[in-house]
Order: sequence, then structure tokens, then C-alpha cells
Amino acid sequence: MKGNVIKYERDNIDTDVIIPGQYLKVHDYAELALHAMEGLDPDFHSKVKEGDFILSGRNFGCGSSREHAPIALSHSGIKAVLALSFARIFYRNAVDGAFLLPIEIEEDAYSNISEGDELDIDISSNEIKNLTKNKTYKMKPFSEIIGKIIEAGGLFKYKPD
Amino acid sequence: MGKTLFEKIWDAHIVVEKENSPSLIYIDRHLVHEVTSPQAFDGLRMNNRSVRRPDLTIATMDHNVPTNNRSLPILDQTSAVQIQTLEKNCKDFGIQLFDINSPNQGIVHVIGPQLGITLPGSTIVCGDSHTSTHGAFGALAFGIGTSEVEHVLASQTLWLEKPKPFEIRVEGKRKNPHAVTAKDIILSIIKNIGTSGGNGTVIEYKGEGISDLSMEQRMTICNMSIEAGARAGLIAPDEKTFEYLRGRKYTPKNYESLVDYWRDNLKTDNDATFEKNYTLHVDNIAPQVSWGTNPGMTCDVTESVPFPEDFSKGDQNQKKGAEKALEYMALKPGTPITEIKIDRVFIGSCTNARLDDLIEASKVVKGKKLSSHVRAMVVPGSQMVKKQAEELGLDKIFTDANFEWREAGCSMCLGMNPDILSPGERCASTSNRNFEGRQGTGGRTHLVSPVMAAAAAMEGHFVDVREMDLN
Ligand code: SF4
Repeated sequence: MKGNVIKYERDNIDTDVIIPGQYLKVHDYAELALHAMEGLDPDFHSKVKEGDFILSGRNFGCGSSREHAPIALSHSGIKAVLALSFARIFYRNAVDGAFLLPIEIEEDAYSNISEGDELDIDISSNEIKNLTKNKTYKMKPFSEIIGKIIEAGGLFKYKPD
Repeated sequence: MGKTLFEKIWDAHIVVEKENSPSLIYIDRHLVHEVTSPQAFDGLRMNNRSVRRPDLTIATMDHNVPTNNRSLPILDQTSAVQIQTLEKNCKDFGIQLFDINSPNQGIVHVIGPQLGITLPGSTIVCGDSHTSTHGAFGALAFGIGTSEVEHVLASQTLWLEKPKPFEIRVEGKRKNPHAVTAKDIILSIIKNIGTSGGNGTVIEYKGEGISDLSMEQRMTICNMSIEAGARAGLIAPDEKTFEYLRGRKYTPKNYESLVDYWRDNLKTDNDATFEKNYTLHVDNIAPQVSWGTNPGMTCDVTESVPFPEDFSKGDQNQKKGAEKALEYMALKPGTPITEIKIDRVFIGSCTNARLDDLIEASKVVKGKKLSSHVRAMVVPGSQMVKKQAEELGLDKIFTDANFEWREAGCSMCLGMNPDILSPGERCASTSNRNFEGRQGTGGRTHLVSPVMAAAAAMEGHFVDVREMDLN
């Protein structure tokens, strides 16, 4: 999975800034995507490309349980969010609906990767290659169950064995 | 080895359990509202599924309902559609709905306990993060996303990874319990453990500082557990809990025998262990005011807006976060909190819009007038709270002071209904989130208790309510 990085150097990016409350009434995902990250970065929509990744600090996706948050990011093209840690509901929403991959990274990756870097993420080997900087970082592996839900393509496609 | 209360409730609800994987947990009550449910019902239809236990599912509309005159049509078309969609979904799937005209309508976390739907020892979910509120009754209650809402509608169960138990002891006695409230206790806790301090845990609150609180105040504590990152908050039920639920609309018929069982079983064993512990001493805590853009960015009313380097204690991300927050909030480090002037006051939300909250706030307001440059509103948490408050004449106290007295709903807690801040407006709010844009694009939120909000409304800036006569 290859893509470029949009970096937000801060902790606690909450779901209210990922998709502000006034858009929770919007039922159309394409329209929702137009307002992704609007609360934090009004230019997000014009800079995001299909396949991009977001990179951020700790506790990404805290706050409201709105599934609109991973939906809006996913429909604007984001394939994965790389963060030092995630808030639980965002994490589950992202995985359950197969919207995007929430990938936990270590400090070295966080500080080393810059805005615009091209990454190649391989979840089978838990490696992130930085093609721009020619570096490789480890990602935290998904727990067994999360891996299975991701493989199945979401919670509803997952059948426990 | 003994078990914690959380573990006891968890174990009693396991449907499927295997080592090293999540458990399938049975859900006793599912609360539904208009915003996080439409896609879930669509999913059911697409797959020809029905709602497994409509009798355990209850719906209301709260997030985007207007809080002005209920006899007028809803002007915002998309809100109107979302509300009609919930009506249709509840009708099609046989779910009890408290709609906009129902005397039981209100914020989902206010009506659950009021109607006796929230019961000790039960599992409760809702597509809303503040479901943690119901933990005040010794229920395991947490927020879920829309896919999970669909899963619960279809199966009445949920795959969950077991959270870790976290003990927070609140010790000591507040010197002035009218001025230093449950809101100040929970804001102090979040300030100290941080907004991710509770990640992956269920917090059990214990100690004298908790048993002293009324049920309504305990709900304020559990409500904001999610702001510390916890999945849920939990307080072991006691006689206050049982008394609160006695005789409510949906309280079960065999209530007294349930109480006997709860009294004996719903508590943490003495030899149980917690993964984490934290203790707050409340003897000397001050009223709290948030200055930044998450609930952890909070200080005493007697303090000044902090310098980012002091706040961050050497952590670069924290420092950047604090700088951004101060820029957004248009605050200068070193400014005394009591010198911050406010434009708006919001007394409402599932954190602080219960009868107790309104009674306490009214003591500050009675016989006085609002500061001339402040616009203030009181939005009761439910129609039932509104009615009870009116029976006590509280509406009159507030309107005489030039407050707006409105219909029940989430209102200005989040910017998705007509009650919003204008860009740049500064608000003293009794809600739970001060995120950027939460109360409207560009709006600036300071989280406080109801008495602190009321006092700020009267003075036009924050004041230390310990200096007022609140008895
Ligand atoms: S009052 Fe606020 S926090 Fe509570 S349910 Fe409504 S929007 Fe959510």
C-alpha cells in the first residue's frame, strides 16, 4: 500500500475537528468527504489525494463516537491513519466498517516522517518503508482479532472460527 | 482472587469467550438516537435482517432537535429528514420512540435513568460516547459506532476486547459542596490523568468523595469518563441508587428482589486488584475552568492561563498543542482566569442539565439580572426535567434574570442544531467538550460547573463561586 503523508504534528485530534457536528446530518458520503478535517485544516480537501495517509500524534480520534469521522476520511481518499495511539471508538469504527487502517507507530517513525513523504506500508510484515527518505520503521502489529476483521473486510463480513 | 465490579458484570454477560480474543457480550439495553442510527437501519434492510430485541431497544431524538417552540415546523431540512428517518425506522422495526412531542423526550443519557431504563448490573450501549453516564448506576455502559449499532440491533450482542479495570479513589470532604461540584471533581481528575489517561480501561470511582454525591452528581462524574479516554465509568450501586430508581416508569415489577441481589453482589471484592490506580483528595480543590481545546487543559479558577512550556512539562507535542489551543482561544498566558470576559453562557447537556444542576445554578441567579453583554440560555436535559423545574418556579427565576428557557435537547453542546456560537464568541458552558468548533465554527468554549456558568453570566467574567453565598 503506497501513498503520501499529510502530517499533523499534534496529539488529541478529535472527531469534532475531523468532521464538525453540523455535517452529521449529511447522509451522502461523497459530500461528507468534502468537509473532512475542516475543523482543523480547511485546506485538507484541496490537498488530499486518493491513497494518502495521515500521520499524527497520540490519542487520534478522541471524543465523539461519530462513525462519520473515518467515513469522511476514507471517502476523501485516506487509506490509513498512522498515529502514536488511537482513541478506542475511532479505532473500532475504522476497522469495523473497513473504512481505513488505524496503524500504531513508534516515536522514531513519527518524528522522522515528514509531510509529503511517500510511504509503502506492508501489514503482512508490519513494516513501513519511507521511499522518500529510504528508511524503514516498524509498525505495531494488529491484534489477532483486529487482523481478522481487517482481512474479512469489516465486522459484518467477519465470521469467528 | 476477588473480582472487580466491572469483571463481575462482564463475566455475567459473556456469550462466547475464547483465550486471547474478544468476547461476545450480551447487551441488556440499547439506546438509539437520530444521528448515529440511520446507516445502521439501512444496513439491516439491505441484508433483510430484523431487530432482534425491539423490547430492549429505546429511541429518542436529541442531537439536532431545535430547542425553541416545538409547535413550529423544523426549518433545517436535513435535520427534519434525519428526524423523520428515525420515526420511520422505529415504526418499521417496532421500536419504542420518544419523539419530539413526547413528555419523555430528552437527551438519551438523561432520560435513560429518569425512566428507570438504566439498571444496576446491566450492559448498556448507545451510538454516543457519553453513554458512560449510565455507569453511575453500576451499569457497564459505553458508546459504540454505527457499525456496532447495527450489530447490536441485529444480534443484541457485541464483540468486545476486555478493558482493564482502573480504580479512581475520590477521598476527603469538599468544604463547600455547593461551590465545588461533581463537575469540578471530574475536571480535576482529567486535568491530572490526561485525556488519554484512561485509554483501554473501565474506571471504577470509589471513596467518600463519591458516596457523598447524589445520583445526579455521580452521573456528571461517569459522563466525562470518556474525556479521560476510558471506555466507561462505573460506581457501585448503593441505597441512593436503589432509591433513585424506585417507582420509575420502566422500573421492573420485581424491583425489590432485584435490589436484594444487587446489594449483595454488585461490588468489588476486597481482594480484587486493579491495573491502575489514582487518588484525588477533594478537601481543598477549587472550582475548575478549562482554558484550552480539550478537557485536560483545565485549571483552578484562582489560577492564570498557563504558559505552554509550563503546561507541557517538556513534552513537545503537548507544548505545540497548548500553543495552538491558546491561539484558537485567543488567550494570553498569564491572564488571570477571573479576568476572562465571556459573551455566552450555556447551561445544558447530558453532563449538567438535570434538576439538581438547574436548582444549584438558580441560586446564583435569583433576584438578579444577567450581565448586559452576555446572552445566556438554560436547556433542560429532558422534558421531564423541564416540567419539574417549572413546578419549582426555576423557569421564572431564569427568565426574570433574562436567561432563555428552552425545550430539551443537546442544544449548544454540539454545533449541529440551530443553537450555536458565532465565530469568535466565548462561552462558559456546562457541557463536556471544548474541542475547536464543537459549539459552532470558531466558537470558544470554557467548561465549567452550572454554578460557575451562572455566576459568569451574572458578572460577565469568571468568578470564584466559593466567595458567594450559595446556601
Ligand atoms: S448533550 Fe452533548 S455530549 Fe450529551 S449526548 Fe448530546 S451532544 Fe452528546
